[in-house]
Order: sequence, then structure tokens, then C-alpha cells
Amino acid sequence: MVTVEAAERPTETPPRPRRRRGIQETRGYRVFQVANGIILTLVVIVTLYPFVNIVARSMSDEAYIIAGQVNLVPRGFTVDTYQLLMSDSLFWTNYRNTVFYTVTATVVSIVMTTCYAYVLSKKQLKGRGALVGIAVFTMFFSGGLIPNYVLVTSLGLKNSVWAIALPNAINVFNLLVMKAFFESLPVELEEAAAVDGLNTYGILLRIVLPLSKAIVATMVLFYAVAFWNSWFAAFLYMDRQELWPVTVYLRNLIAGATGAENVGAIAAADEVQAEATLKAVTIVLTTLPILLVYPFVQRYFVRGIMLGAVKG
Amino acid sequence: MFRRSWRHAAAATAALLALTSITACSDDPAESQDLSENRAGAMDGYAVGTQFKATEPVSFPILYNNHPNYPLKNDWLFWSELKSRTNVTLEPVAVPLSDYEQKRSLLIGAGDAPLLLPKTYPSQEEPYVSSGAILPVSDYLNLMPNLSDKIEKWNLGPEIDTRRQDDGKFYLLPGLHEKAWHDYSLAVRTDILEELNLEVPKTWDDLYLVLKAMKAAYPDVYPFSDRFSQPNPGGNLLNILAFSYGLQGAGWNFQHTSWNAQAQKFEYTGATEQYKQMLQYLNKLVSEKLLDPESFTQTDDKARQKLANSQSFVISANAQAVVNDYRPDLSRNPDAKIAKIPLPIGPAGEINPADRLENGLMISSKARDSKNFVAMMQFVDWLFYSDEGQEFAKWGVEGQTFVRDAAGKPTLAPDVDIIGLNPGAPKHLQKDFGFYNGVFAYGGKPELVQAFFSEEEQQFQEVMNARAPRVVPPPHPFTDEEREQVSLWATPLRDHVYQATLQFILGQRDFAQWDAYLAELKSKNMDSYMETVTKAYERFRDKNN
Repeated sequence: MVTVEAAERPTETPPRPRRRRGIQETRGYRVFQVANGIILTLVVIVTLYPFVNIVARSMSDEAYIIAGQVNLVPRGFTVDTYQLLMSDSLFWTNYRNTVFYTVTATVVSIVMTTCYAYVLSKKQLKGRGALVGIAVFTMFFSGGLIPNYVLVTSLGLKNSVWAIALPNAINVFNLLVMKAFFESLPVELEEAAAVDGLNTYGILLRIVLPLSKAIVATMVLFYAVAFWNSWFAAFLYMDRQELWPVTVYLRNLIAGATGAENVGAIAAADEVQAEATLKAVTIVLTTLPILLVYPFVQRYFVRGIMLGAVKG
Repeated sequence: MFRRSWRHAAAATAALLALTSITACSDDPAESQDLSENRAGAMDGYAVGTQFKATEPVSFPILYNNHPNYPLKNDWLFWSELKSRTNVTLEPVAVPLSDYEQKRSLLIGAGDAPLLLPKTYPSQEEPYVSSGAILPVSDYLNLMPNLSDKIEKWNLGPEIDTRRQDDGKFYLLPGLHEKAWHDYSLAVRTDILEELNLEVPKTWDDLYLVLKAMKAAYPDVYPFSDRFSQPNPGGNLLNILAFSYGLQGAGWNFQHTSWNAQAQKFEYTGATEQYKQMLQYLNKLVSEKLLDPESFTQTDDKARQKLANSQSFVISANAQAVVNDYRPDLSRNPDAKIAKIPLPIGPAGEINPADRLENGLMISSKARDSKNFVAMMQFVDWLFYSDEGQEFAKWGVEGQTFVRDAAGKPTLAPDVDIIGLNPGAPKHLQKDFGFYNGVFAYGGKPELVQAFFSEEEQQFQEVMNARAPRVVPPPHPFTDEEREQVSLWATPLRDHVYQATLQFILGQRDFAQWDAYLAELKSKNMDSYMETVTKAYERFRDKNN
């Protein structure tokens, strides 16, 4: 609906000369523009403030943070926490793991989701309802943690990237969005391709996918962000710290700094990481790479989800 | 939030299901003592004072709680020295400290648990007992001479009995302290005390007077603004007050029952006269604006912020919080001095409320089938309960990580640092050698426990250790059905006590309504709860006396 409105509005607004004559309209439009500008600026500030604040905190002295004096600019500037974190080779090992897990799992997920969604989008498919049902069923019911764990372990996936990539390969919500997108593609295109001699795979690879860059980009972003942030699967299935993603590493670091266990932490401060700074540094280091990816896929992102949703 | 709670629920349900399905198989008691098949690697004359060394190389998988301050390293001297002394290789399964308990529960539920499950706190073993997944270690005390010796020598029988389950056995090998180690108390701005010519408060009544004097001098501040209120309001404050009033615990250590030693019976903590008195005390502090009413809802950061900005002078503390939080927070105020005061004394007199049981180990039942079972029990006994093993785990190797003075007292080697004792030393006892590791080193004699304490903390411990240990309540283990029934009553009861506690303290409810409050507890099955506890207590007493 929104896309339609946006597309139609320019044609509805009167052409320029007429608008200039109608003073009333111009003023209204200007007021609208100003108000719009103010509101959007406020929105930008509200959205950006937490980020700026977190960055400022990550470079501030703990005492200022606790005293509530850090807003937009770092106070008692220090990058000790960054140095401490980055001098740990385990941090980099785990960061590399995160990148590797995210890339692998996203590729697997995209392939699996696309294949399943494309099949489900074909209305002539027999047993389509059952196939959709199977997928949707897992949205509401799951075998539970222990059966899952036993399954993954007995398949020998433990301590490998597949324990992360395979059990979460298809997100049903993403699947349905993608299915709706494929359904919205004109059937005639595929029919024409079939007439020209392409088989099913050819149609998918040469016709449908090139037309679906938007949805694929969207899904890449959805999956990548989810895998980037996830820690639970890795926590369950990785028994060695060299295999942990950076999320588990940082989570553990914060737990250690907040003193969940105090054996060994009593008495004089033993380069205990400042807790409040540590949290901020953690957030900066984990969100930064994903933030950098966003601008490049954002336009697909918006378009993609609209297109899928309209028809869905 | 939603996802996490969902996972927890799923984990709990799944754990229950999995555990019930394993339940069926339980051991024949006669069979449990025939260990002839399980002696591979075991020593024949193992006793107190013997250095354990397996007669053949053995290895045992162990769940390892990975502390971010000293992440696991395979080349630690701890592992290699352990191997050369005991012929044992430990195979750690590394679990992040942040979620250790969840993974332990999962592994036990999935039947995939390593043989040794350390860092298990007393009562954490209870959910696993009925499943049979955990070994009833009390059946094998004869394999553990050091443990038996310490229980007897340090008179830990009553404490150990609290760990016994309905079958009379216990399933956890707890860490043992010769002397109770109490940590939590209040921290007070001593420079303000000096400025106003006040003594360090010894009792809760003294504290009231001190707060009053502070308020008189600084009318704009709430002199006492507390932290540790999440998730339970007044977590620490209510707890230490409850101790001082002779109760079993409240706040973050909420205990439904308290043992009345005079009447020889259990009472419902939240319904006792003492509980009422302690709420009246807190209500007095709040109504005279001495205690910040936000104390019971604010975050720790908020409370620290008030302390840092001299908007409050008194706050809950442990040794670590004083050193790591309050002093750095106050560092920009050169006059500010803050110290942890000995636990204020209440109507219960001078008591040390700490439990002498520490976290310890559970052992998977499947270990019983291993041919190295006896060797494993001897090894655990040596490492965790012998004087030599405890010293090794804490101090390391003489000549490398520590040296002895003429009197035999260990001190750190000059090139080894721990908690800033040898600042600038190139190596770290935990990070580089793997000693003083929370998984292996805890408990023991006071000299050992307090070896790395700062001077002020040692003084605090001296004061606390001079006080009488608290009375240990008699065991009252539930049967499975009772446990299930009681847990249904427990949550509504606890929630109601929490709610009323805050209402009474904050003055939203008058103490004239105390009887109405008791009636509300009754309507929430308090009496049935207490009946079940009493029944369990009497049953256990009659069966085991």
C-alpha cells in the first residue's frame, strides 16, 4: 500500500506554475516541510544519541560513567579497555570465528531458504499445503533443548561450524516472506522461459534469481545479522574456547567483570576491566562491522521487504 | 527477553522429561560396594598424608568453568605438574563462566556430562538427584580418607547433614571451610564518620544513630542508599538483617523456613516476630528519611552514582565491591574514604552467619562403571581435600610459583603476581600457571583461604571469626512428591512476602495490619508448607537417629 501511495503522489501534486499562484498551498507546503524537517531531525537525534553515547562511554573513565557525567563526548579519555581487549589473541581468534560462522551459515541459509521458498511458491505443486505446514509447525513447536542437543551431538556436528549453520538454516518467517515474493513474480516470465527451453533449475537460476536480488539481499542481511549476534548455538555445541564466536567471548568477559564468581577477585584491583566501559566497548566492537554493512544493502532492504509483503 | 525466558522454560521442561526417562534404573545397594572391577590405577594403601599417584596413567573428563580473567591454557604448569604428581590427565570441557549452570544442566540432561562436575553450589545438586544421573557420593566416603578426616576434625557433620537427601545420602562433595567466611556487610564513608566525630557502628542500633547524625549534618541527602536490589529488592540488606535477627535468610537468599533452636521447630521466616521487628527497623529508617526509599528498586549503577556524588554515605558491600567499585568511583574526591564495617550486630547477638560449605563437585553416575572409579575418587580426595592438594591448587609448586620462609609459611615467588601483591612481576599465578583457579582452589584452613586477602579484609575476617557460628538447621529433605508439591506453594508465598516486605518498609502498609498479612500467608498455604517441612524433618530425624 505504502509503495503505491508514494508512487502516485507526484502525479497528483499540481504542476509548479499553478502551485506558485496558490499562496495558501505554498505556505501549507512550507509549514509541512519545516515541521517534517524538525520531526525527522528529532528522530535522527533520538536514534543517533544512544550510539554516540555508547562510543563516548567506551572511551571514558569508569568513574565518570558511574557518576553519570558522560553524554556525547568522552570524559577522562582512555582507550585502555580497547587495548586490553585487542591485545588478547583469543579475542581475535574468536572474532575470526564469528566472521567465518556468519559467512558460512548465511550462505547455507540463503541456498536452503531460496530452494524451499521457490518450491513452495509454485501453486501447482501437489502437497504444497503439507510442505508449508511442516515449516510453519516448527515456528510454534520445537523438540526442546535436550533432544536438539542429543540430535546434533549424535550426528557428530559438535565442535564444527555445521552445528551452528545446519540446525538454524531455515528461518520460517524469512521463508514465508521469500515465498510471497516469488509468488508475486509474473508467471508469464517463467512460462516464456520454459517455452524457450529452460528447465526448472534454469528458470530459477537465470530468470527468477536475477529478478530477486532485492529479496536475496534482504535475506542476506537478516541472516547475517542474526548469525553475527547469536551466541547460544555456539555456546551449546562448542567445547573449546578457540571455537567460540566473539559474542560468547564478550559475554563471558562481562560476566567475569561483574563478578559472578568472586574467588580470586578479592582485594586489590588486579587489572579488573572497568565494567561500564567494558560493556560499551563490547557493544561498539560487535555492532560496528554490521553497521558498516548496512548502508550498502539498505536500499535493497527496504524495497525487498515491501515487495515481499505487498502480496503476502 | 522473550527468547531467553522461552529457552529457559524449554530447557527446564526438556531437562525434566529427559531426567524422568533415565530414572528407572537404580543401583542395587549390595552391588555398589563391590569395587573389585573398578580398581584399575587405584592405590592400595591410600590414606591421609599419602601422595596420591595412580599406578597407571589415567585421564578423567571434567567440566571446566572458563574464567575470562584467566582463560584456559593447555600448557599451564598446573596440568603438567598434576600429571607428574598423580599420573592423572584432566580433559577439560570448556564452558563460559557466563552460562556455566545452564550448560551443566543440559549436559546432565542429555546424558553427555563429563565425569567430574565441579563448581556446583550446595542445593544445586538437588534437581538431579531423583534422575539417578548423579552419584550418591556418601556411599563411597571410605575411598576418601582426607574428606572424612576433615569432616570429623572440623566438626562439619551438621553442615554435611544438610546436604543429605530423603534417602539419607548426599550427592555433592562440597568445598569445606574450617572457619566460616562471611563477606557481605555495609560500607561506610569513614571520612564522614571522622568529620562528625562518630564511631564505626557496631550494632544496627548504632547504625541508626550514625545515620541520624549524618542526616543532621547533611539534611539534603539520604545517608543510606542501597544497591543489590535486582532482581530481588534489598537483596543483601534484607539478608544480613535477617541473619542479625536470627533468621535463616531473606532478600536474595530468601529462605522460607528458619529453625527455632529453642522451640526445636521450623518457623515460616516471613511470619516470625523477628521478621516483623526487622521490617519495623527498616521502616523507621525510611520514615525518618535515613534510608533512600529508592534503595529497593534502583539499579546498582544508580546506587553507585549516588555514593560517588556524595549523595549517600552508606551502601551494601563485599570486599570486592569496596576495592573495585567504590574506591575508584570516589577517586575524584580526594577526601573520601570508604571501608567495609564488620557485620552490624542485631538481637541474635554476635554471630558469623556464613555457611562453611562451599561450591564443590558432583560426579556422574556413569563414573561408577569405569574401571578407574576407585582411582578417580582417590584423586578427587587428594586434589580437593588433602592439605597438600589444596596447597598445590592454590600456591602451585614450591621454588617456581612460591617459596617458604623459615617457619614454612608460603609466600609468592618474586617474579609471580596475583591481585597486585607483586606489582610489575612478569608472570601471573592464574593466567600463566593456572593456580588459584576457581575450579580447583577454594576452602580449606583459614590461612589458605585468606592467603591473598588484603590486610583490611583479614582484619574483617578476624572480627567475624571471633563470633559464634550460626546454628545449622537440621536436615529436612523432601521426597520427590513433596518437593513437587512444595515448589507449587513456594512461589506465591515468596512473592507475597516480598511484596508485603516492601509495603511495610516503605510505609504503604501499617504494622497494625500484620495479622492480616499473616492471614494472607495462611491463605497461600503457609501452614501446609510448614506441615510438609515438619513432616520431612521428623521423618528424617526418626529414620537416621
